[in-house]
Amino acid sequence: MNKREIGFVICLTLFSLILTGCVQAAPEVDAQQEVSKATAEIAEAPATITFWHTYSENSPENDMLVNTLIPIFEESHPDIRVETLIIPWEDFRSKVFTSIAGGVAPDLARVDIIWVPELADMGALVALDENMENFDTYTEQVFPGPLSTNAWNGHYYGLPLDTNTKTWIYNKAMYEKAGITPPATFDEMQEQCEAMKVAYPDGYYFATDGTFAWVTLPWIWSFGGAITDDAITTATGYLNSPETVAAYEALKALYDNGCIAPVIMGSGIDVFTGYAQDSYASLDNGPWTFPIIESQFPDKEISASPFPAGPGGSINVVGGEDVVLFEQSENKEAVMEFMRFLLSEEYQLKMAEVGQIPVLLDAINSEYFQNHPYYGVFLQQLTTSKSRTAHPKWEQMDSILTDAGQYILRGEKTAQEALDEAAAQIDALLQ
Amino acid sequence: MKTKKRQTPYLFLLPGIIFLSVWLIYPMLKTLQISFYDWNFIDASKNVFIGIQNYARTFHDEIFLLSVRNTLLYSVVTVSGQLLLGFATAIIIDQIRFGKIFFRTVYYLPVVTSWVVCSLLFKFLFNSSAAGLINYVLVDILHVVENAVPWLNEPQTAFLALFILGIWKGVGWTMVIFLAALQSIPVELYDAAQMDGANAWQIVTHITIPILAPTIILVTIMLTIGAFQTYIPINLITNGGPVHRTEVILSYMYDQAFTNHNFGYASALSFVMIVIVFIISQFQLKFSDIKSK
Repeated sequence: MNKREIGFVICLTLFSLILTGCVQAAPEVDAQQEVSKATAEIAEAPATITFWHTYSENSPENDMLVNTLIPIFEESHPDIRVETLIIPWEDFRSKVFTSIAGGVAPDLARVDIIWVPELADMGALVALDENMENFDTYTEQVFPGPLSTNAWNGHYYGLPLDTNTKTWIYNKAMYEKAGITPPATFDEMQEQCEAMKVAYPDGYYFATDGTFAWVTLPWIWSFGGAITDDAITTATGYLNSPETVAAYEALKALYDNGCIAPVIMGSGIDVFTGYAQDSYASLDNGPWTFPIIESQFPDKEISASPFPAGPGGSINVVGGEDVVLFEQSENKEAVMEFMRFLLSEEYQLKMAEVGQIPVLLDAINSEYFQNHPYYGVFLQQLTTSKSRTAHPKWEQMDSILTDAGQYILRGEKTAQEALDEAAAQIDALLQ
Repeated sequence: MKTKKRQTPYLFLLPGIIFLSVWLIYPMLKTLQISFYDWNFIDASKNVFIGIQNYARTFHDEIFLLSVRNTLLYSVVTVSGQLLLGFATAIIIDQIRFGKIFFRTVYYLPVVTSWVVCSLLFKFLFNSSAAGLINYVLVDILHVVENAVPWLNEPQTAFLALFILGIWKGVGWTMVIFLAALQSIPVELYDAAQMDGANAWQIVTHITIPILAPTIILVTIMLTIGAFQTYIPINLITNGGPVHRTEVILSYMYDQAFTNHNFGYASALSFVMIVIVFIISQFQLKFSDIKSK
C-alpha cells in the first residue's frame, strides 16, 4: 500500500467509527422522546408491559399465569396489557444483562432471589421502598425471610413472589425393602446406606446433581459451618472452619462408599428418573419434585421428610423468586399496579395450586394449605432454612464452591486444602 | 481523469470496507479499549482504567494457563490427525476406480453437519453411565471392560472423545482440499518415476508431498486457527469439566465475560489469544519458507 491508500483506509475507518458512534448514540435521544411520548399517550392507548419469567412453556405454572391470571388482571385494568416472555433459567442471567446493556430491558421480571443483589448493585432496578406507594403494607403481609432477599444497601429492590426450600425426599418402596426409615441425623446415613446396598446392589442411597452451593449448603449449615461471616466480609475462618470441613468429609465418605450416585459428578441418569425407577433411594429436593415425577411416572409414590439434622440443626436452603422493576421501564406505574396484583391473595393462592409456595402470611394460613398433602413438610423446613449469601459476586462464589466440591470428591485435594484455597479466592472477591 | 480512474476501485470497495469497519474493526478496537479497563457494561461511569492489570493477571491465572495448554494440545492432536488421515484418504480415493464420489461424499458429510448436532451426538455416545452407546458396546457386547468407563468425568478420556470428534469432523475438509491439489500434479511425473522403478512410498514422499507442500502449509495454518477457535464441542460435551481440566481459551473467555461479567479481563484474554495465534502462524510460515527453499 502506498501512503495515499493507507491514508484513505484510515479515513474510512475513522468515518465508520463515527458512523457506528452515531448509530449507538441515536437510540438514547429517541428513548427520551419516547418516554415523554409514552407518558402523554398513557391515558389513551393501553400501556404494554413485558414480564420475563422462567416457567417452562408447557408447565402448569405458565398455563395458570398466561391463561387465567393475566386475563383477570387485564379485565380489571383495561389500560394495561401484560406480555410475558419465557427465558430458560440457565440463560436468564446473560439475557437480562445483555438486554440491560442494550437498553431493552423488560419492564419487570421474576428473578431468582439470589440475583437481586447483583442487579441492584449495577443500578438496573428501581428501589421500591422509595418509589412504590404503600410499600410498607407489603412488608407486613409477607414472610420476613423471602422479603429480606430483596434488600440491598439499605433499600428494597423487589418484592417476594414465591418461596421454597428442599427436604429429604425418600423412596418409600426402597426404604421399606431395606428396612429403614428416613434418617433423623447424618450419623445414621452410613449404616442406612449399607442396608440399602444389601437390598439394592445396583441402587444408590442418595442422589443429587452437582457440587454447587444449592446442593452443598444444607450439609455445610447442618454441620454448623458457613461460607462467610454474617457481614459477608471474609470466608477464611468460615468456609475452611472445622465444621465446614466435616460436612465435606461426610459427603466424601458417603461418595467413596458408593452411597451417592455418580450423577453428583455429572454422569448417569437424572435424579427424578432414578428415583422413579427405584435406583435412587433419597433426594434433597424441592416441592416441584412432586409435579415433575407425577407427570412422567404417575404411579410412583413420593414421600418427603425433614432434612437430617447435624450439630448445627436441620438447615436447608431457601429458594424462590422475587419480582423486580427495571430502571429502564417506561411504564413504572403500570408495572407497580401489576406487582400489587402479583402480591394479592387471589394470585398467590392460584399459583399455589400449581406448586408455588406463596409468600403471604394469610395464604399460608388458608384452608388450602393446612389440608395440603405435601406442602406441610416444606413449610416446616422453611422455618429453619437459610438464604444463600446475598452478594453481587454470588455467581462467582458459587463456581468457586462447585470447583472445591469437585476437587474433594475426586480425591485430588483434601477437604481442608480445597476449602482453604476456596476461602482465599472468595476473600479476594469480597475485597 | 487519471485521479478518477484511481478512485473508482475504492468506490467499489467502499461497501465492503464499511461493513468490515462496523462489524470487525470497530468491535476489535473497542475490545482493545475494554481490555484496559475494569469494565462495567451497564454504567459507563463505573469504568475504571487499570492499565495492563488485566494482561498481567493472565500470567498468574492457573485456569487460563491450563486452558492455553489444553488449546495447544487440542490443536496439535486434531491438526495432525486431520492432516494425516485427510492426506491418506485423499490419496486412496484418488486411486480407486469405483465409488469415488460415494466415498468423497461420505467423508465430507461430517463437515457439513452442524457442530452442535455432532457435539450432542458425541455426548450421548460417550455418556459415562452404562447406558452410553460406547459403554454398552464395550461392556455388554465386546466384554473388553468390566464396568462402564466414565468417559467425560476423567480428563484423559474426555479429551479422547473431544479429539475423535475434532478429527472425524475435519478429515473430510482436508481430504477435499488435498484431492483438488492432487489433480494438479502432472501424470508424467508419476509415469517417469514408475519407469525409474520407484515404489509407491517413494512416489508419495518424493513427488506428491513436495508438490503439495504449499497446500499442506495452507491447510495446517487454517486447521490450527480453527482448532484455536474450538468452543462448541467443549461447551456442549464437557463444559470445561471436570474442574476446568478440558477448558480451552474460548470457553474460559466466554465464562469470564458472560458468567462472571469480567468483560475487561475477557477482552484481555481475547488479545492474548490473538497474539498466540499470530506467533504460531508466523512460526508456521517461517518454517514453510525454510522447507520450500
